[in-house]
Amino acid sequence: MTVSVTPSTFSFVDFDADLIRRIGDGLVDALGIDRPVQVEVDETTPLGRVRTDIGDVITVHVESGAFEDSRKPRQQSEEATTANLGRALLRARDRITGGFGEAPADDELSLRQIAAWETYCVGRLARMGVPVNQQRWKYNFRNRHGFTDVADAAFERVWQSDGLTWGELETISLEGAATPS
Amino acid sequence: MRKFFPVDSLARDSRFNQITMKQSQADPRSSLIAQEEKRPKTNRLQPSRPDASDAARSLMHGIFVGEIQALEGAGRTCHDFETGTEAPFALKLDMARQAWDEARHVEISVKLSEWMGTEIGQYAENTVLFEAACSTDPVLRLAGVNRALEGLAIDVFTTMKEFGDIAGDPFLEFCEDWMLADEVTHVKMGSDWLRRITENDPERRKKALEFQSVVDKIFSFGGTRSDSQESPIGLARRFRELAGFSDDEVEDIADVSLRALEERKAFARQAQAEAVEQFSAS
Repeated sequence: MTVSVTPSTFSFVDFDADLIRRIGDGLVDALGIDRPVQVEVDETTPLGRVRTDIGDVITVHVESGAFEDSRKPRQQSEEATTANLGRALLRARDRITGGFGEAPADDELSLRQIAAWETYCVGRLARMGVPVNQQRWKYNFRNRHGFTDVADAAFERVWQSDGLTWGELETISLEGAATPS
Repeated sequence: MRKFFPVDSLARDSRFNQITMKQSQADPRSSLIAQEEKRPKTNRLQPSRPDASDAARSLMHGIFVGEIQALEGAGRTCHDFETGTEAPFALKLDMARQAWDEARHVEISVKLSEWMGTEIGQYAENTVLFEAACSTDPVLRLAGVNRALEGLAIDVFTTMKEFGDIAGDPFLEFCEDWMLADEVTHVKMGSDWLRRITENDPERRKKALEFQSVVDKIFSFGGTRSDSQESPIGLARRFRELAGFSDDEVEDIADVSLRALEERKAFARQAQAEAVEQFSAS
């Protein structure tokens, strides 16, 4: 499947559209994405939100901070590009391949649900060999589920999982967010 | 041993990448403008923000490098000035005590960063804090470091403490509270020494306060700190009062911070328009 990137040249940041496309090609192959992917980078904002529209084409809307090297402002990070594009494509694949039919639309997900799904995606990316900092994602999970042993146990279950359905993911997340008695 | 160390000679290993305030502010992208067009009005660092975890990690790293530079600044003040003729021994003793506090803060910040999943040097280090500590007049240095820099630290720690409290993070809230108490003491030391040394020299005091005002504006980081909800960091008025700032002084800092916010937004709009123009022309 093809990956295309817009814009093809950048003026606000020093990004390389070819590098984004190559990384996208590798991820599409590795994840078995079944349709073309269009990556649209908004270089006018340093924020790092990533949003996905799924149709005949998967369109990934990326704010430039998501692909940026936090050590070197306005420079691209191959690691960040891989991890953040990978997360978006994994979530899209979850929706496409089934088991996630009852998941709310992206803009209706709660912060707790987003944290659980992100954890599920990043855990799988880590097993694919993509460099990620697990503690970063545990901290995010704790912020949304609580700083408790129950939340930490839920994080470990989600992180280690493959092949979850939305219902299974939501159950683990809700259990993790429960206040311990 | 060398005196008056320049900012570009600070000792850092290969994990760190330093940037100047000029480089930081030259970025034509601005979340403040994006905020206006695409996001709710508030940008205050709170757990309810979708990007709260990453924003808190970034700010925590900023605190970490700020603590290193504050340690270097207080340490330099102990060494750079002759005891008695240029700076009283008791002032240097206070700066030595502050250096000890800052070293402890660096260690706490490293541990908090690990807790939050951040590596040392993961974010660019803005060296503007140490630049305020390079004055050759100890009174200006007190105004720049103890009142402006440490005043900013009060605002930052208050924001982070509230963040930890709301998120239920037991370590973050606890550590920030203790560091905040130290920062209030540091500002108070600066305020007291500034008044004592310039007691019979109104011209020097005026110059020091003007320097502090300039530094306060720079430390507003183009609106990162102000009373406006558009700023991630608020102005901690109560703790500033405890640190010895008068009501008028707090109002002045509030005004200068808001001006910095508006100037940054105007600059970003202009820079974006110019970038679009250049891009279209090419």
